[in-house]
Amino acid sequence: MPFPLGRPLGVADNPDFQRDVLRSALELLESATEPTIVDYPHEAPEGEGVWACAIELPTPEVSELEASLRREIDLLMPRYEEARRRRGRTTLGMSGAKPEEIDAVVSFAIAVAEGSGFEEIPKSASGPEWIHPMPMLVRFVVEDLRAFYQESVASDNGAAPPSQHDMHAWIFEQTALGRLIKQIAQLISDDHDPRLLFVRGLLIPEGFWEGGPTFGGPPPGEDPREFLIRSRRYLRGQEA
Amino acid sequence: MRNMGKRFDQMPLDSTPFVTPPPLAESTVALITSAGLHRRDDRPFRFADQGYRVIPSDIDPADLVQTQVSVNFDRTHYQRDVNVVLPIDRLRELADAGEIGAVSVYHYSVLGSNPNPALMKDAAADLAQRLHDSGVHCAMLTPV
Repeated sequence: MPFPLGRPLGVADNPDFQRDVLRSALELLESATEPTIVDYPHEAPEGEGVWACAIELPTPEVSELEASLRREIDLLMPRYEEARRRRGRTTLGMSGAKPEEIDAVVSFAIAVAEGSGFEEIPKSASGPEWIHPMPMLVRFVVEDLRAFYQESVASDNGAAPPSQHDMHAWIFEQTALGRLIKQIAQLISDDHDPRLLFVRGLLIPEGFWEGGPTFGGPPPGEDPREFLIRSRRYLRGQEA
Repeated sequence: MRNMGKRFDQMPLDSTPFVTPPPLAESTVALITSAGLHRRDDRPFRFADQGYRVIPSDIDPADLVQTQVSVNFDRTHYQRDVNVVLPIDRLRELADAGEIGAVSVYHYSVLGSNPNPALMKDAAADLAQRLHDSGVHCAMLTPV
């Protein structure tokens, strides 16, 4: 399928197109006589024009990260609630927090960005039943905030959703959330634990980290496979 | 996806097994997605998780959550419409129209962002057995 990764059926809210993709794949079962690869011949229909956020957020103050983030969330909340009501669902909740616990999600992210560390859950973020161990919980807390922002501004039924690149560009270049994510990523970079760099690679999309590739690698002399094994144990909370 | 597919050229297979399924109109079809989706009360996917999760075909999309670890894929369409990743409504429509025999009672999800998918071999065999035992003839894979 010639679609961006993450969209195997091509495009949201287009049952005819999705049905054609599905039908084309299933019909191969009736025509193929051996393992077969066929390219789907149609590109996914895209929206017209260049996407731009319909709500203007204030320029984030460098010295007031928490206030800026909470102000943005207050501004976006009515749109988020409307999108959630209309669709009957939200993708927020990857960290374990419920949508109504977004204050605790913000408190968590702010505490980490201000240096609470990557080992313990910040005390200021009590309430939600977090479902991941540290440090991976940081990654899903940030993803919950990103989902909140994206659902808020990409919820217009009348237009095609923006591309993921548009979303990343908006978040990282125009919002306090983007500055918060980069601040956490910088703390990871300063930590010098090469295992933690996996989390940076899962926070910052490729192309949006000014320091180069977002993922790190094994320390000099360490076998990459051994490094991956011990990193996996660490990221799954099985090893300090 | 095309660029990712090129990586498989470096993974030669020893054989090319092939099974001719029943006609589509008589086949039960399941979905397997690598989107890292699961029920909200199920176990979240861990980093490099090698297992799979079970999704009932009558699930309310509001009860799904995605703990896929990668940040490098498009979530915007999924946030609007679960069918762009897990086409449960589309499959049901094909069944209602008689184009496929039936929709599987369960669909399945794995973690696509996995540095060593070869380690998923045991889970894959277990899932294949489960599909066979539940009378599924075809599985549609939706990669993320």
